[in-house]
Amino acid sequence: MTQTAAQRFLQDAAVKSADLVHREIIRRGMDSYDAAHLKGRARIKDWEAAREKCQEIKRDAINHLDRFLLQFEEKVVARGGHVYWAANAEEACAYVKNLAIRLGVRTVVKSKSMVTEEIHLSPALEREGIKVWETDLGEFIVQLRNEAPYHIVTPAMHLNRGQIATLFREKLDPGISSDDPADLMAVARRKLREAFFTAEMGISGANFLVADAGVVAISTNEGNGRLCTSIPPIHVVVTGIEKVIPRLEDLAVLWPVLATSGTGQGITTYSTMIAGPRQSGEVDGAGEFHVVLVDNGRSQLLADAEQREVLHCIRCGACLNICPVFRHVGGHTYGTTYPGPIGSVLTPHLNGIGEFKHLSYASSLCGACSSVCPVKIDLHHHLLQNRRNATESRVTKSSERVIFRMWRAVMSSPSMYALGGWTMRKALRTLYALGLAGTILDPMRVWNRYRAPVPLPSESFRARWRKDRAAS
Amino acid sequence: MPQAKEAQTENSSRDQILGRIRAALRIVVSEPAVAAGDSKRVIFQTIDDPLQRFEQECAANLMECALTADGEASAQHLAKVLQSLPEGEAFVQEDPTLRRLVQLAAPARAIRWSTEGAPGEASQVTVTLAEALIAQTGSILVSAGCGGRGASVIAPCHIVYARAAQLVPDLATALGCISQQRTFDRNSFACVISGSSRTADIEKILVQGAHGPRRLVVILQSGT
Ligand code: SF4
Repeated sequence: MTQTAAQRFLQDAAVKSADLVHREIIRRGMDSYDAAHLKGRARIKDWEAAREKCQEIKRDAINHLDRFLLQFEEKVVARGGHVYWAANAEEACAYVKNLAIRLGVRTVVKSKSMVTEEIHLSPALEREGIKVWETDLGEFIVQLRNEAPYHIVTPAMHLNRGQIATLFREKLDPGISSDDPADLMAVARRKLREAFFTAEMGISGANFLVADAGVVAISTNEGNGRLCTSIPPIHVVVTGIEKVIPRLEDLAVLWPVLATSGTGQGITTYSTMIAGPRQSGEVDGAGEFHVVLVDNGRSQLLADAEQREVLHCIRCGACLNICPVFRHVGGHTYGTTYPGPIGSVLTPHLNGIGEFKHLSYASSLCGACSSVCPVKIDLHHHLLQNRRNATESRVTKSSERVIFRMWRAVMSSPSMYALGGWTMRKALRTLYALGLAGTILDPMRVWNRYRAPVPLPSESFRARWRKDRAAS
Repeated sequence: MPQAKEAQTENSSRDQILGRIRAALRIVVSEPAVAAGDSKRVIFQTIDDPLQRFEQECAANLMECALTADGEASAQHLAKVLQSLPEGEAFVQEDPTLRRLVQLAAPARAIRWSTEGAPGEASQVTVTLAEALIAQTGSILVSAGCGGRGASVIAPCHIVYARAAQLVPDLATALGCISQQRTFDRNSFACVISGSSRTADIEKILVQGAHGPRRLVVILQSGT
């Protein structure tokens, strides 16, 4: 029997949250992120004003999406670049694939791009016999492991140095003895440098598409994005239509806010702006420049009156980092391109509410995600709306509907509620006394399997309430 | 593949996507308005002393900044940095000032001028000018005109020679200049560089020198 995405999520979540090595790696990673993020935010004088400004910029962009995309396209085409509009993943992959075949490309260097993950571009190219190198260190590591990125900003944060050293020994060079991060970086650098200088095509994503200047803005720290867009003779940008922003000056706020939310930096080391192919008289740069604008469900999200603002997302990863669910179940458990709160909101729109409605419940609705989001997306309310939409569109199971109907009946009748509480207290006390906590007989098994049972109260809340009132 | 056919395939979904966007935008969305007067709120600390701020941010970004009084001092500092590097070709942006400076600083070193093509894989160091320096973030702004795209990223060391008058207080000013001077009419590339190349992809531990330069040196000469 094939598992549904929801069943797999529950199973993986249970395994991952009990995996102490994984938890320790994530805890350490998130601790250092938290410290850097707080320090970074303190450097900005009015963080709330910065968030409001970013929200305003993105709202302006999204509410005039057609106009700004056309403005961007016009500028790029005027400088000799190509702009391709892809309705879905297949169209986008086919375009890049055909371009690569037509121009005789054998090797591609890629800098990090979540949209290429979303459309599964690398497998599409590799099926044609084209070698694809991920060049961001984290992406390179997960590529060697045949894994999807664990996190949208730090793709390999689920691994420690020992695991990465072992991987490099297996896949790259059995002679690697050190597991020092600097030495491991040096190994990757040597390997990838060959690729940079032999590849015929560089593929990058975009953090922003600047409409008034016709510029693609790409932020990277390692410089791999720079090399991908400087050395190979062909440069292809693959990005979503929602990445457009109105003005070049908007970057003065967006860059610092993205860096602060992403890593705690004041600004990403290389904030690159590419305005088209190499112009006459220039020393280097790709002679062929293509921008692939991917829709793939985004225009449908634009038509959602409640959730349009989800398109504001700048993919900073802050909502993943703060999410208590992400911190326990980890990125891979979601089984989606975009994990964490933004992924749980977005995936049902991109891949269907039927299969992915369970992600709306992968949240305690604590609202931490909404409180950190630098473009002020009301993430947890959107999760709530997705729950409602799933219920209304009847993609829920009938057994689920029956259970909730019973639940409603019990909750709205004080006597039934009291009876239920009494029964549960008695039953659980007996069960625990028999040492059956956490077994299949235990209705609280989900909790008690990995934890000590919560002590049971001797009397109901209502009984205590009555007693305390009488005493005072 | 014939040209006409290609142009067609390039835009097969274009009108359809634009149509969907326009239809979606006709749906009215109630969004809380941004309160009036909010635009006056100051987001970033104002910068009183740009030079001091620049030096401070450079240090935080792990880049080296040397203040020099005149051309001679700049040449001396350049010589010192070049001496500390391994033998091998230096790539230098073709520019009369840089020619003078490099001839004074390292008459013996093999030089590849930007007019001879992009820096090679084995370049040890690149020397270029910048379009501007940005105090707020401790950054240099380079364009394709500063020796090309690879000039600031291929070699393990990048040296930038700049004048104090090129220092602007913040990103907004720098980006405003790019718009005003229509930099992208003449350049297909520009980049705000804030420090040496780095990664923290392994256990969030900072490693300096990833794919780009391990060292970024700014020689900042006073005067105009
Ligand atoms: S939803 Fe907000 S916090 Fe989450 S990745 Fe997007 S911009 Fe960042």
